[in-house]
Amino acid sequence: MKVPASWLCEYVDFGLPLVDLARKLVFTSCEVDRIVPRGVPDIDGNLGKFVVGKVLQAGKHPNADRLQLCLVDVGEGEPRQIVCGAWNFSAGATVAVALPGALLPGAEQPLGEAKLRGELSRGMILSEREVDLGADHSGIMVLSDGLEPGTLLADVLPLTDDVLDIETGFNRPDLASVYGIAREVAAVTGGQLAPPPGRDPEGGTEEQVDVRVEDFDGCPRYVGRLFRGATVGESPLWLKARLLAAGMRPISNVVDVTNYVMLALGSPLHAFDVARLGGGRIVVRRATNGEKMRTLDGHERELMRTDLVIADATHPVAIAGIMGGEESEVRPETTDLLLEAANFDPLAVLRTSRRFRLRTESSTRWEKAVDPDAAEQAAVYATQLFVELAGARWTGHVDVHVGLPERPRVTLRPELADRLSGLHIPVEEQTERLRAIGFEVGDDLEVTVPTWRARDVTRSVDLVEEVVRFRIEDVPATLPSRPAKPAQLTRDQRLRRQVEDVLVGAGFYEAYTWTLVPPGEGRIQLQEPFTAELATLRDSLDYWLVESARRNRNAGVERVALFELARVFLPGDGELPEERWHVAGITDGGYFQAKGAVETLHRALHVESDFSEIDVRGLDEGWGYFEVDLDSLFERVPDVVLYEDVITYPDVKQDLAFVVDEGVSAGDLIAEARRAAGPELREFKPFDVYRGEQVGPGKKSIAFSASFRSPERTLTDDDAAGLRGRITEALAERFGAQLRA
Amino acid sequence: MDVEALEREALAAIAEARSADELEEVRVRTLGRKSPLKLALREVRDRKSGMALNAIRERVEQGLAARQAELAQPTEDPTFDPTLPGDEIPRGSYHLITRQRRRIEDVFVGMGYEIFDGREVDTVENNFDALNTAEEHPSRDPRDTFYLDDNTVLRTHTSPSQIRAMRAMEPPVYVASLGRVYRRDTLDATHTPIFHQVEALAVDRHVTLADLRGTMRAFAEAIFGGTREIRMRTSFFPFTEPSVEFDMTCFLCDGAGCAVCKHSGWIEMGGAGEVDPNVLAGVGYDPDEWQGFAWGLGIDRIAFARHGLPDLRLFWENDIRFLSQF
Repeated sequence: MKVPASWLCEYVDFGLPLVDLARKLVFTSCEVDRIVPRGVPDIDGNLGKFVVGKVLQAGKHPNADRLQLCLVDVGEGEPRQIVCGAWNFSAGATVAVALPGALLPGAEQPLGEAKLRGELSRGMILSEREVDLGADHSGIMVLSDGLEPGTLLADVLPLTDDVLDIETGFNRPDLASVYGIAREVAAVTGGQLAPPPGRDPEGGTEEQVDVRVEDFDGCPRYVGRLFRGATVGESPLWLKARLLAAGMRPISNVVDVTNYVMLALGSPLHAFDVARLGGGRIVVRRATNGEKMRTLDGHERELMRTDLVIADATHPVAIAGIMGGEESEVRPETTDLLLEAANFDPLAVLRTSRRFRLRTESSTRWEKAVDPDAAEQAAVYATQLFVELAGARWTGHVDVHVGLPERPRVTLRPELADRLSGLHIPVEEQTERLRAIGFEVGDDLEVTVPTWRARDVTRSVDLVEEVVRFRIEDVPATLPSRPAKPAQLTRDQRLRRQVEDVLVGAGFYEAYTWTLVPPGEGRIQLQEPFTAELATLRDSLDYWLVESARRNRNAGVERVALFELARVFLPGDGELPEERWHVAGITDGGYFQAKGAVETLHRALHVESDFSEIDVRGLDEGWGYFEVDLDSLFERVPDVVLYEDVITYPDVKQDLAFVVDEGVSAGDLIAEARRAAGPELREFKPFDVYRGEQVGPGKKSIAFSASFRSPERTLTDDDAAGLRGRITEALAERFGAQLRA
Repeated sequence: MDVEALEREALAAIAEARSADELEEVRVRTLGRKSPLKLALREVRDRKSGMALNAIRERVEQGLAARQAELAQPTEDPTFDPTLPGDEIPRGSYHLITRQRRRIEDVFVGMGYEIFDGREVDTVENNFDALNTAEEHPSRDPRDTFYLDDNTVLRTHTSPSQIRAMRAMEPPVYVASLGRVYRRDTLDATHTPIFHQVEALAVDRHVTLADLRGTMRAFAEAIFGGTREIRMRTSFFPFTEPSVEFDMTCFLCDGAGCAVCKHSGWIEMGGAGEVDPNVLAGVGYDPDEWQGFAWGLGIDRIAFARHGLPDLRLFWENDIRFLSQF
């Protein structure tokens, strides 16, 4: 919400520099993102260089067909020669002039005297766009006659302003208007608040307004007013300047008034061309499925039964609260108007605006819920301005509703503010603060909430916030007093840290990659993909990890080793997917480096590596990849590692080499050797594989280093020979393995 | 016996020793059980000569030790150049978010909070409804939130962990929950669709806004060091009442104003408030008996600010040239 300070000052006298006001609001009420100066910069007497001028002579520039050469009286006695590109004026016109040295909005350099096609120009005749007063640049501003040449322009036009850029919370729709902010500012500063703008002119009784509301849930209130004989044209400069400052584009006086009043009072309005309303009637109803209309932005919209529409006798003329239709739009030739000052249900507006992906100034206000009470004052103010600015005659009024909501009554529990804040706030102060923001407090501490806060303040605890927010800076800093209680990471959390530690120690860099991956078999899909690549939940960490590794190699990184520890998502049995912790790694050291990392990890956690369950892969381009399900790994991690005597009795070490067929794997031999020798075989580790003449074609020799040990006694040479014999025998029998000398 | 000659000879032999073995021989000869010095010591009957002999023994021992240290130095090898770099032992590194996450976890554990693992995919019920979020609240908009179906979302904040923690535990509850959260933000230098938050929840009999402010200060001082001030500003969150945003005095300039804090002296930290009674009642806690605070803040932004990163995307690109800096 952009709030021009000049506008705010009309409603409240806050007697503070704007920055101080902003600082107060930030603590008590809402974010003030910044204060933006707009219009002509008000620095170093710059405003003094913008004056009223009277054109004494105007004629074609001798050397340029498109330029005029003018003599302008700016109250200096001697008139100035000024070259001007516009032709919408002639001698006698009163105009706005910037003198040399003037700094225009957005300009970096001040205006200088310049020769244009050989003629000196000692100033500039201004268009409204050049001073941020409008969008028009087709001609210069022609001011009303009677202004004395040399008069400061700032005394006549809103040349300069400061705009508060305010972010209003979801719970404070009442702040989405200049008057709403003014009300808050008055409470915060103790300043005097003016009554809400707008007073009904004479009229409104000549004719009936045909408004039928068929759905009071969607539209609890509809104020309709009729106007005849309006002249659609341009808005006055002050109105255009205000709209621009508030971030809206001026369109025509009628549309501008509806926007202006919306900004002033927070209740969105719409104006229909009565001549184009079928039957001259308004019906508020739900659309029928498949019903169509063309909205103001030129889009054909297909409606559904859930959409609330404003219709005439036959078809929709607006999507309620979101956007009007093209057909009933106010045009230059429009003379008869129907003003809509309604109230719409937030959810009805929200659902439809979401479906059409159509957010407007009006829909964002309705979505946050607008006070139904505000509709009437908005209608009054718009009426006044239609009459004043468009010369309209007010001829009819109707206010359709089935009772407006009661104002909530809430009990003030003064002790609750103390209990929640840690401050002591006397009950008198609490009631005083509530009254300052428009709450009525009875002697019995029953509080009646003002209509504009009715949705947000419904409970005693809500009143606490209304009091405490004015004391928020005073809240002290203490710590909860509670009995000391030891806390620690859970077992899984500790183990996850250990996994990270082991892999970092093993030379892997930790990566973070996206949870979302391209579609794939069995992956859980997003209802709406974010991008083609980010469309489903990952069931493995491989996609982005491989991608990251490749990118590093392409960037010329010498040693690439990445790991990630994160969750993967699998279709679950219950209502939610199953989330499992995985760790995965990728290395340019190939399959065996990946496998080694996994083995190291298992050793660190005292878990036997079981490669029937572990995903280790060699990938193209020499990458080695592993992925381990940590949830199952952690189940197997012993809580306590028990002491085992590995010192008293020495190892007996022997090397054994077996010749086997190519088809026999080292893993098979190890498993069989362990089975045959039993627990006294401590280690049986392959250290060399040989293929060649000595073993013959289709064969290989695998050399193992074996180590035998007993926890109970020193093994003798005979013991070792016996164990070795059992291994040799078993491997021969099972795999035809021949022991090499 | 000439004890001084004994010492002279012993020290000379020590200096001449060319290897550890030779030195050991010298040690046995000069200080061994049958050495003249030891024999002389055994014979000593008066205090004075005993002290003199002991002093010699000590000096010889010192000489031996010094020579032993000299010999252990491999300086003798003319091909040995100790200024060459050591063997490069590969080292990896922790991701910055992991470092930050661990520090935060440790601070909370130190304050007596459990670290609670929430879920990344959660129900609309836990992510919105149980957190008192109105049906028309914009955070529910599918333009901002990743839905899997009408009842399931990728959590948009760590706050559903509050609900899970309170449903799982009896009050009092002091927990922190950290992890990934998801919003449909277009990827750019200051936004990523996935980021990390830390949620803190303290529910007890008397936990107040003042306790919130104090806890935030303790947290900020632990993480950023020095003396930090915390300020609270009125705000709105569906699941807290009253709600505040909180700022910390800038860790770089201590509030004087600098580029990091955009010359305000303050750094925005996150949102917080007293847990809304609707939330408490929803998980079966009696709001007249139990109350407390909840807060959430972004971990990425802390790490981002602390390490002076120019672009949040660096966290996700996994460029080893970047990762290995830390």
